[in-house]
Amino acid sequence: MIKTALLSGTCIALMASAAGAEIKVGFIGSLSSDTGLSTLRGAEIAVEELNANGGVMGEQITLVSADTGQDPTEGIRAYEYLAETEEVDFIISGSIDDVSLGWLPRMQEYRIPTLDTWTSYIGIIDMVVEDPDSMAPYFMNIASDEALATLYINFGADVLKEKMGWDSVVILAEDTAFGEAITGLVTEALAPVAGIEVKEIITYDVATVDFAPIFSRAQDTGADFIYQVSSVNSQVVSSQYVKLQVPMAMTGVNVAALGMEYWEDTGGAGGGISTLSPVPSVGFRLDPASQEFVDTYQAKYDSRPLLPHFNGFNAYHGLKQAMAAAEEAGGFDNVEGWAEAMKKQDLVLELDGQLWLRYAFWGDDEVEPVTGRTYPHNIRFDLSEPFDDAAPSMVVVQWYEDGTAAVVYPEKYATGEFTLPSWVKQ
Amino acid sequence: MGLRWFHYVLWGGLISGMFLLPQVVSNGTLRTMIFANYLAIFAISWDVLSGRTGYVSFGHPFLIGIGAYTTAILTKRFDVPVEISIPVAVVVTMIAGLLVLLPALRIRGSYFALVTLAFMELLYQLVQVIRPDLTGGTRGMSGIQTLTRGAANGYYLSTALMLSVAVSMWLLMKTRIGTALAAIGMNEESVRGSGLSTTRLKAFAFLTSALIAGLGGAFYVHYLGSLAPRALFDINFLFTIIVAALLGGTSTIIGPMIGAFFMTFLLEYLRPVLPGAERYFVYGAIALLLYMYQPKGLVELAQRGFQRLRKGGLA
Repeated sequence: MIKTALLSGTCIALMASAAGAEIKVGFIGSLSSDTGLSTLRGAEIAVEELNANGGVMGEQITLVSADTGQDPTEGIRAYEYLAETEEVDFIISGSIDDVSLGWLPRMQEYRIPTLDTWTSYIGIIDMVVEDPDSMAPYFMNIASDEALATLYINFGADVLKEKMGWDSVVILAEDTAFGEAITGLVTEALAPVAGIEVKEIITYDVATVDFAPIFSRAQDTGADFIYQVSSVNSQVVSSQYVKLQVPMAMTGVNVAALGMEYWEDTGGAGGGISTLSPVPSVGFRLDPASQEFVDTYQAKYDSRPLLPHFNGFNAYHGLKQAMAAAEEAGGFDNVEGWAEAMKKQDLVLELDGQLWLRYAFWGDDEVEPVTGRTYPHNIRFDLSEPFDDAAPSMVVVQWYEDGTAAVVYPEKYATGEFTLPSWVKQ
Repeated sequence: MGLRWFHYVLWGGLISGMFLLPQVVSNGTLRTMIFANYLAIFAISWDVLSGRTGYVSFGHPFLIGIGAYTTAILTKRFDVPVEISIPVAVVVTMIAGLLVLLPALRIRGSYFALVTLAFMELLYQLVQVIRPDLTGGTRGMSGIQTLTRGAANGYYLSTALMLSVAVSMWLLMKTRIGTALAAIGMNEESVRGSGLSTTRLKAFAFLTSALIAGLGGAFYVHYLGSLAPRALFDINFLFTIIVAALLGGTSTIIGPMIGAFFMTFLLEYLRPVLPGAERYFVYGAIALLLYMYQPKGLVELAQRGFQRLRKGGLA
């Protein structure tokens, strides 16, 4: 009798232990932003698909989330919560630049494999170069901002300078970390490479609601076009540009225009504006695998963002790659082994028989030929035609006055033409 | 100073209890307590100045930021050891505290609050444009030397710091200087009329407050390991400090400590239930209701409860 009870007890304990065995993934990012939700939902779909196929290493995956509220200190607390309270095995991040910089010291301390899908700050890749051991758990599967800006300069030379004949630009930049970084990268390269003179840089507060004086000042510079850098309050500057019918073309980086909700958010006053975007973007032709992801996404979620932003794709494919790397390395505990396996991940997505997107990472000592530097742990990107090694670091998206959007650069990915708003004369 | 036996017992019990805590709670809880400890330090610092003298400062992140940036720049950019950088940061913050004192010599009330708010905004703008190679500009700084590794070590350090500040300030406030500072908050003219120099007393309060803010800010940044101007010079950070002091009970030492722990744990315990921004709404609503119900803070509630127990026991 006692033996039977002991045996039953042992069996129950073992079963409970087996049922409790799981791989825990933590999401860190903003739960109230379209970009944060894109990463979370991309990860959720990947987890569901992996679990439906038997999980990883025979274990089911669970996903827990920690909101950062886009605040760097909250980001640190969120990372600590995932590490110490939830004891996650792997973290997927939809954090913005300074939030990622905030929790990076915690990642170095806990050594939890972490994949960033949104932050593109080249300074973090520089940290991998300088301190590869402590940064071993970190990977970034979006092209770094330096690569984004480098290809954008080509757009400046090929389209803005050569096709449109523009010689000078005025930069309107939000007073943010992102605005400062992109402005710096563009101004350093636009003049010497594309031959476009930067007439003036106008920095404005993110809470600005009246852009009439700013546009007026931009016109007074006599520049040929406006380069806008906006990541926080992008809808306001765009809609006022349209409503005021500013007689200058405006391109640049407009984060609001990266999502399908842009048209609705601007009240239909968002046409005529173009923006740099990481891939895949709105108006981007999708390969079959990515299209299948979008179909699943749209069947599952009926709230914004209705189409995942680029980082949703990065989370979906990236999480699967992280799990495949864990399977190869025997789990996440051996961080160096996992990192080595992660570096070998290579997902080539083809469209019409040619390479379209690629989820792979640069080798540690591999030099990118255009910039002449290394990008360890950063997603592999291609900065020159015909983009047969990887996807371009960015595309340029054009919003038209009828509410549609298309990719206009580079040519291989173009689904539309770069055009001026109807009220701007060439 | 009027120290009684039960003072030693209560402080001794609190100190022993806090240092034994890592034996019984999880690392996750310790991490939360570390943030609560730092918030308690900032709230005590604010209370020494604003709770006592009535000069409500909206610029406390300015002082904390000076301490944090000074040590961060010295250690990261100039390889100065923390043993030197932290004392230097405290001295620099105290000098900055004198800057905050200047408007207090002429104005008080809402005008003083607005001027101090301007100090915070000014520093926020300055660190982004002046020598961003040193300050890290808008992105701030990462990879700042941390003093401890692991939840328990971080907890012991922050607890030791918080308790040192709390006991020192408690002892200070038991002296005649503490009484005079509280009197300034009640009626500054009467204090002046009694022959005391209110300027000297205010300077003392401002310097003491700055000392604690600088010390807390310096240790805080060496705990975080990173520094972001957007988070440090943030109105939410300021309000968290003020609400912790108000909710716990101003013009006390234990009040800001209780307020800081209550708010930090409330927010953290809401996280699994309400992972998104909703928890801030619930947290704000609870804080508001508590403050409306008992404006003298949680300390007053605890004291009333204790008195009822004593009366019940005697009856």
